[in-house]
Amino acid sequence: MKSALSWKIVAKCSTTKARVGLLTLPHGPVDTPVFMPVGTQGTLKGLTPKQLEELNCQIMLNNTYHLGLRPGQELIEELGGSHKFQNWNRNLLTDSGGFQMVSLLKLARITEEGVEFQSPHDGTTMLLTPEHSMSLQNSIGADIIMQLDDVVSSLTTGPRVEEAMHRSIRWLDRCINSHKKPETQNLFAIIQGGLNIDLRKKCIEEMVKRDTPGYAIGGLSGGEEKDIFWKIVSFSTDMLPKNKPIYCMGVGYAEDLVVCSALGVDMYDCVFPTRTARFGNALTSKGPLNLKSTKFAQDFEPIEKDCNCLTCKKYTRAYIHMHATRETVGCHLITLHNVSYQLRLMNSIRQAILNDEFPSFIQRFFKELFGGKDNYPIWAVNALKSVNIELLP
Amino acid sequence: MSLLFNLLKTSEKSLRLGNLILIKNEQKIILDTPNCLAYTVRGCVPHLTPDNLHDIPLIEAVTVTLEHFIDVQPPPSTQFPGGLHKFLNFEKYFLFIDIRDSGNIKAVSSNADKYVSIYTNHGVRQVMFDSYIEYMNIYKPDVFASLADKITDEVPSLKRIRKSVDRTLKWLDNALSNVKEGIHVFGVLTGHNNKEERIRSAKETAKRNVSGFVLNGNFLGNTSRERINILKSSLDNLPSNKPRLAYGLGTPEDILLGVSEGIDLFDTHYAAKMTDAGHAFIFSLDIKNDLDSCKQQKTINLWDTYFRDDIQPLLVGCQCYSCQNHTRAYIHHLLNVHEMLATVLLMSHNLFHYTKFFKSIRESIDQGTFSSKAERFFKVYDDEYKQEKEMTENSTTVILN
Repeated sequence: MKSALSWKIVAKCSTTKARVGLLTLPHGPVDTPVFMPVGTQGTLKGLTPKQLEELNCQIMLNNTYHLGLRPGQELIEELGGSHKFQNWNRNLLTDSGGFQMVSLLKLARITEEGVEFQSPHDGTTMLLTPEHSMSLQNSIGADIIMQLDDVVSSLTTGPRVEEAMHRSIRWLDRCINSHKKPETQNLFAIIQGGLNIDLRKKCIEEMVKRDTPGYAIGGLSGGEEKDIFWKIVSFSTDMLPKNKPIYCMGVGYAEDLVVCSALGVDMYDCVFPTRTARFGNALTSKGPLNLKSTKFAQDFEPIEKDCNCLTCKKYTRAYIHMHATRETVGCHLITLHNVSYQLRLMNSIRQAILNDEFPSFIQRFFKELFGGKDNYPIWAVNALKSVNIELLP
Repeated sequence: MSLLFNLLKTSEKSLRLGNLILIKNEQKIILDTPNCLAYTVRGCVPHLTPDNLHDIPLIEAVTVTLEHFIDVQPPPSTQFPGGLHKFLNFEKYFLFIDIRDSGNIKAVSSNADKYVSIYTNHGVRQVMFDSYIEYMNIYKPDVFASLADKITDEVPSLKRIRKSVDRTLKWLDNALSNVKEGIHVFGVLTGHNNKEERIRSAKETAKRNVSGFVLNGNFLGNTSRERINILKSSLDNLPSNKPRLAYGLGTPEDILLGVSEGIDLFDTHYAAKMTDAGHAFIFSLDIKNDLDSCKQQKTINLWDTYFRDDIQPLLVGCQCYSCQNHTRAYIHHLLNVHEMLATVLLMSHNLFHYTKFFKSIRESIDQGTFSSKAERFFKVYDDEYKQEKEMTENSTTVILN
């Protein structure tokens, strides 16, 4: 199908499946692997677009479900789409809206037609179809849009998983057919199939035939065993075409980003860094710090010494401790740092791949984050072993 | 460090144009007066990270409240080696400290001869008069207000008022003899609503070696005029060569009346309060002719669904970050979905606008047009209470998780 992006691989790791790419979207370049922070309601949790640009954020997410409710499809279209609405001139990605229906709404029912749910406002029954999702996403106008998929919990087993996989393929076709702006918006397919390799394989074979501009690995990060998670990811990156970007949905923990990049994933999103900031948690290369804790009351170091974000340049942990979860400025300062941390991590992953030093980067990264080898998560050790990196020689 | 106050122009009544010049080390801060000090909560300007504050170029001074961050003993901020300016990242600002929140004084249990009761995050605490000076000597603010025995009773007795004047003077003497060199002290004027006591407090304070005066309009009067009239008995008894800072005067009417009675400095608590209510300032001292005939709004309420599709900036022609980048429709949406960027953008605009309002006041004093402009202002704009009533009906709820 038509594509409004170009993607070229700039460098490949000679040991793992990691790669650095340059993704060019309608609103500018995106260096991959990339972490995309989540601005659910057309705003990234208290940060201004200017602050995001200064952090060198090239792409962020908006949620279709939320924007569809408020300000609503008609209004966002009238106001010229989401970029203009929030004055964000760089790239946006929107999800299909389906995930929130399932995660937020108790009374969602999935039929062949679409996702049936009760409106949170007046309780009337509403239906989100693939066509409706495309229409909403066309109005919002993001650079990358996602197909409506039949999402089942990653813990579900049995025939429902297979049904959801087949239905996601049928819904992809309906999305392709109803997508009105393929010349400015890139539709990504979402691979389903639960934790079953055969179903994943079948799904990939069918979806690759549709030749969408990129592919997402869906239905993971839902509490499944991490050893199964990475195997599904690695299997998917093996099977998917090498000339298309691969997006692993809902991934955002630092170690997951490093491992999945080694497995060949190019794009990630997660609410974790911004959500945890609002609880007073700051991310660092040695693990998160809960700045609400009184042990930081007299700590006059910055959150991270070598971090060049505004928060670390200007304030001590003691100062942020006074504000964490009390003043909005406390949230803003930690959010700013956490987004900076994520983007800096991705930048160092890219630099390591470009210099073909990714394996030694990974060794250092794990050592710093987990302190000692005893603390390394086994799944990560196993996953990295599959791409020729021995964390525990 | 030196602090100089220059009166550049005075006029018929009590109108004054001046500047406060602070010189320390290599740094020179000039605060043109009349002006405002940015109101802070726990040492930050509400909602604004330092880069956003930096985008409001006319902010030169901040006022910091001690009771906001001494709930833990000893206060961690007193252990920080670099002084309070550095701890709060206010190095380039003129830093003023007082013990109680100038915008939101909560009535707490009474004061005694040796201590002041304050309201902290962990409940009511007492601060001894001598430990207050110790804090100041550690914090090294540019100026601090000496301790005051503030009256928060509804109808205080004359005995209580006299006591308050006496204690405040005693604490002032103690502050002046124990403060380290280079830190300046403003004396706080008391006397509540009693004219004789106000005069006594003003005259006695004026005899001391203070660098300026603080007047508190909180708990006094119901209208701008009532508040100013009470403060006037203090103002009339002050020397003209020292700056006067007033609390509790925030509405544009308060400011205009206060300026015409010779108040030089105000705080921006009102801008923070209106921001939290979802309002944006649109008032102006420079009223165009065609607006004369009808009453005008001083603020717009961004909660109003009227703005849902309004693609104008908060105020057409405004040069602030919000107005240069965002629409009323977007800010209405942000309020509606309880997103924190709403108050960031509103505060950016409101503070910017407030500082511009002070600038236009200074220009009009300089040009001799202040009185006529202020008169027009009162004629054209709605009375102040209508807007305050509206405000209490709406308030921002910010969801932190």
